[in-house]
Amino acid sequence: MLPSAEPRAPGRAEVPAVELRHIVKRFPGVVANRDVNLAVQRGSIHAVIGENGAGKSTLMKMLYGMQRPDSGTILVDGAEVSFRSPNDAIAAGVGMVHQHFMLADNLTVLENVILGREPRRFGMIDRSAARRRIAELGATYGLPVAPDALVEDLGVGQRQRVEILKVLYRGARILILDEPTAVLVPQEVDELFANLSELKREGITIIFISHKLDEVLALADDITVIRAGTTVATADPRTATTRDLAELMVGSELPTPETRDSTVTTDVQVRVNGLTCRSAHGRPLLDDVSFTIHRGEIVGIAGVEGNGQTELIEALMGLRDPDAGTIELGGVDVTRWSTRRRREAGLGYVPEDRQRHGLLLDAPLWENEMLGHQSQPPNVKGPWIDGGGARQRTEEIVERFDVRTPNIDVTANALSGGNQQKLIIGRELMAEPQAMVAAHPTRGVDVGAQAAIWDQLRAARSTGLATLLVSADLQELIGLSDALLVVFEGRVVARLDPSTATPQQLGSYMTRGDARDAGPAA
Amino acid sequence: MLLLLAVAALVAASCASKDKTSTTSNGGTSGGTSASAATCQGKTGEKDTAKPLGSVGDPNGSGKKVGLVFDVGGRGDKSFNDSAYNGIEAAAKNMKVTIKTLEPDASGSNRAELMRGLATGGYTMIIGVGFAFADDMAKIAKDFPNTKFAIVDGVVKQPNTTGLLFAEEQGSFLVGAAAAQASKAKQVGFVGGVETALIKKFEAGYKAGVKQIDPNVKVDVKYLTPDGDFSGFKDPAKGETTAKGLYANGDDVVYHAAGLSGTGVFRAATAADRLAIGVDSNQYLQVPPAQQKCILTSMIKRVDVAVYTAVKAYLTGGLKGGTLMFDLKNGGIDFATQGGQIPDTKKLEDLKQQIIDGKITVPTT
Amino acid sequence: MLLLAAPLLAVAVAVAASALVLLATGNSPSKVFWVMAVKGTKTEAVVSMLNRAGPYYISGVAVAIGFKMNLFNIGVEGQYRLAALLAAAAGAAVTLPAPLHVLVILLVAMATGALWAVIPGLLKATRGVSEVISTIMLNAVAGGVTALLLEQYLKAPQEQGGYTVGTRPIGASGRFPSLNAAIAHLGIHLPAANRLQAYIFVAVAVGVAYHLLVWRTRFGFDLRASGSNPSAAEASGVDAKRMIVAAMAISGAFAGLVGLSQVLSEAGRYTSDTVIGGLGFTGIAVALLGRNHPLGIALGALLWAFMDAVQTPLANEGLPKQITAIMQGLIVLSVVVAYEVVRRTAARREASELRRAMPAPEVVRA
Repeated sequence: MLPSAEPRAPGRAEVPAVELRHIVKRFPGVVANRDVNLAVQRGSIHAVIGENGAGKSTLMKMLYGMQRPDSGTILVDGAEVSFRSPNDAIAAGVGMVHQHFMLADNLTVLENVILGREPRRFGMIDRSAARRRIAELGATYGLPVAPDALVEDLGVGQRQRVEILKVLYRGARILILDEPTAVLVPQEVDELFANLSELKREGITIIFISHKLDEVLALADDITVIRAGTTVATADPRTATTRDLAELMVGSELPTPETRDSTVTTDVQVRVNGLTCRSAHGRPLLDDVSFTIHRGEIVGIAGVEGNGQTELIEALMGLRDPDAGTIELGGVDVTRWSTRRRREAGLGYVPEDRQRHGLLLDAPLWENEMLGHQSQPPNVKGPWIDGGGARQRTEEIVERFDVRTPNIDVTANALSGGNQQKLIIGRELMAEPQAMVAAHPTRGVDVGAQAAIWDQLRAARSTGLATLLVSADLQELIGLSDALLVVFEGRVVARLDPSTATPQQLGSYMTRGDARDAGPAA
Repeated sequence: MLLLLAVAALVAASCASKDKTSTTSNGGTSGGTSASAATCQGKTGEKDTAKPLGSVGDPNGSGKKVGLVFDVGGRGDKSFNDSAYNGIEAAAKNMKVTIKTLEPDASGSNRAELMRGLATGGYTMIIGVGFAFADDMAKIAKDFPNTKFAIVDGVVKQPNTTGLLFAEEQGSFLVGAAAAQASKAKQVGFVGGVETALIKKFEAGYKAGVKQIDPNVKVDVKYLTPDGDFSGFKDPAKGETTAKGLYANGDDVVYHAAGLSGTGVFRAATAADRLAIGVDSNQYLQVPPAQQKCILTSMIKRVDVAVYTAVKAYLTGGLKGGTLMFDLKNGGIDFATQGGQIPDTKKLEDLKQQIIDGKITVPTT
Repeated sequence: MLLLAAPLLAVAVAVAASALVLLATGNSPSKVFWVMAVKGTKTEAVVSMLNRAGPYYISGVAVAIGFKMNLFNIGVEGQYRLAALLAAAAGAAVTLPAPLHVLVILLVAMATGALWAVIPGLLKATRGVSEVISTIMLNAVAGGVTALLLEQYLKAPQEQGGYTVGTRPIGASGRFPSLNAAIAHLGIHLPAANRLQAYIFVAVAVGVAYHLLVWRTRFGFDLRASGSNPSAAEASGVDAKRMIVAAMAISGAFAGLVGLSQVLSEAGRYTSDTVIGGLGFTGIAVALLGRNHPLGIALGALLWAFMDAVQTPLANEGLPKQITAIMQGLIVLSVVVAYEVVRRTAARREASELRRAMPAPEVVRA
């Protein structure tokens, strides 16, 4: 297969900027790191790739001092280090830009950048010194920012730039970026990559964590692949293909969403009409949203996170009272129905955050199977729990949905993310729902589980299930959906045919709410 | 600033010397307080003048075992339980009976167990201190018909149980009279621990005594808790706050019938430089010298006399059920004179005699 | 195994620590522990322990129901006081055939406790008021209301010279007989003065009801789900607000039974001495000791009751009975620590078992 390629770019220093040797980290219930080896050359962009849950983030947290390895060595510029906190890491020149930004919304860019490291003069914050330094950094690294803008007024890409600046301001020479493109639309990704290349030119070492293979190939100088908690290979981006990398990551053939015959019927199963939700301040979170889902149809919702998806899901599930509009399920107005009544009427739910909204982590699997269906057979008989029925149903789910677990009495937090998700998908589909809200059904699960879940969703669709699919994974949306809605600031701004929509086109709607610059596919 | 500090230091020094020398009066501090209110002028360090319990002819009870169970709180309440202990201790000394005293747990849930333990342990006379024993004693007395029981402040309808009752209204009448004499503000206060029928008896006697001296003296009455909530007998902080309020309101003498909460009343009195009246025991003898000068008198309810008398009656076969009443006449009730602050002790003695002679009948409600 | 090891270890630590306290205060630990071990296990003390354990257990269960959904019902104290008063008054007011009479009293107590507990439940559900604060406040209110109701309306006429304030006594049909006659058949003869109260059966019934309700019913599942993960429970269709009110009502209904052991047996009426204070707080400790498990709470209640029962022999021997209160505190403290240690150990163990059961995929295939 792909030969492990040693990075051999000319002019590089002999001593790696960062080197990890035989790192081991154990956690209860999640994939740990074992025997991780990694060498990052100074002034290079080194990509660490692996599926969600492969252990990339844990590894980087150890490098940034947020967690300590159980064994193994970390070397920075050839010297062994032992970070007890991020402060130690920063002192050694290692900085991290988190996937979720750590910025104070109500402060200005300048204030955020200097927060905790304020230059002082006579005991007061020396703003002019800070301003000079930020302008200097911006010029050097090609990161222009408006120091007096409030962070809450900035777009996602600009916020990320502030985060990077913040880390540089603290003197970091080694930057860790944890899935920096996850929250960006394609245009922003391009900008980010330009910035990173600039940083590299200025001698900054960048460790780039991702599972998006195109990006990695476009940007990185070296690639290290992590699978199941350990480094399994290094690859040379000049020779490797996405398919090579994917197979290294997954250890098997990459599944592709395929085009299938339409199973869409003419029966409307879900009808949402004029649905509107406002925030406490009256700002519309969901603005006059209307759509229908037919039996046998998957309707996909695309959009940058925070543009009304959560509110839409909550309103559909009865977890949020809409301010206007109606929701019909099988021709019946359920707008005022409680969550339980909707679920009993055959509305399935795969929540976006499975641990927070979908599981009882400290309860056994068979009780988790009951969750959401605790008022229906086979889980109950009258007011009594039917433990036997629930356990049998759980065994079936474990079998049919390939939930990897020693038995059904282990607690849910002992399962890996993918297996937790398979359990959830299983319990929802086994209840034979009429309609289902599936939010990020494959987020954070390995590729094998992802394929299985996709297959299950397709199978349910072909038996007539009406599915609302909310996802941040455009490939998933395009591959699974029969119709695609783009939401922006709470409104449906586009209805697209997935068979003709392009990622560029989607990205354009998602960021600006219209199709300007969307290209010829519009 | 410095001047003020110096003055304060001088005042403090004079106060300290006053405490040590225990002289009758000094012009130094009284000048600083309002002339229309009685202040703490009492002598400190005076000794107990009560006659020791018992006499030479008391029977010899050696070999007999007498058990006593305190009320919740046990010894150290400077009041009821301590007084009971004095009585049983004197009985042990004078009449050679073997004694055992027990204290119930904080909720009083093992009163019955303790009495039962004494009964099965060969104690043929058992005393319960406080009316809370009534219900339990009624049942245990039935189980141990050959054991004699006595209950302080209570009545139990069993042939082998004797209630030891007090005419508290009589003593309260006398301290009320003393309060009216001492008050310059012409208003005095009363702090009851719990608004029970028993404590209302104290209030009634006190009010009557005040009016006897001067019908124009106002009496402010405060109870710490309503009936059924007995925390009012063991809450010094509440006692202090309540008394503080009364003093701030202008009362210059406060009589407390509040058990352990009374220690708070004394603290408030000392802080406000106003007078307080103790209850049950001669509380002058129990408080630190700094508080002694604020104690006008005490309504002495001689639980010790009652306990001693009951033991004596038991030894002579005189404990035959029913009740024994202790009053001014038989020395079960009295008032204290330590500190020498009662303006007219002779008048009080006169009133006392009138009550004994039946010329004055003190109301109980 | 681990689950039992924790409390045993905790008790051992508490015993050792209290021995140090005894030594430091100039007492002989061996003598104290000897009295506890020998006199504390005599029939008399065991009867006292069992009589006490019943109310402690019921109180523990009442608290545990709240704990099961992260509600801290500190108001058991006020709930049982008010409930005992009204139930005693109701029991004295009616005369019914024996089982019915007792049932009426129990139901009045449960209804009163439930209604009183619903107040903080509603406050939390509709206004977000912390039940910790409101139940503490309502304890004070209940104390006042109880005293007032008793004084104003429910007081029995006092005998001349008697100062005990209480309700009128309940007729014989409304009381439980002592179990002395029953256990005499088993060959255990208790002195007449030593009554084993039948109220222990109410505690057993409460335990069974608790187990069935929480672990065997839909409602119990909703309750546990809400406690374990409120947002997941809500997403599963549990009405969080209704759940808060319902859980408080049930907790309060059990709490209503806490104070009736004396009222329904020897004393036959409500007085401030037959319905003692502090049982609600004991219930919190007992629920913690028992980890909200029906049998665990029973062990906790018995341990606590034992500690209280040996106060009498200790007092009889002139030994410092306060040591039992110190030990109770130490036990709770060490148990809480021990459970946390055990919990972490168990979690690690489960994780490593899982790793063994499912080895990671083969490493380098390149």
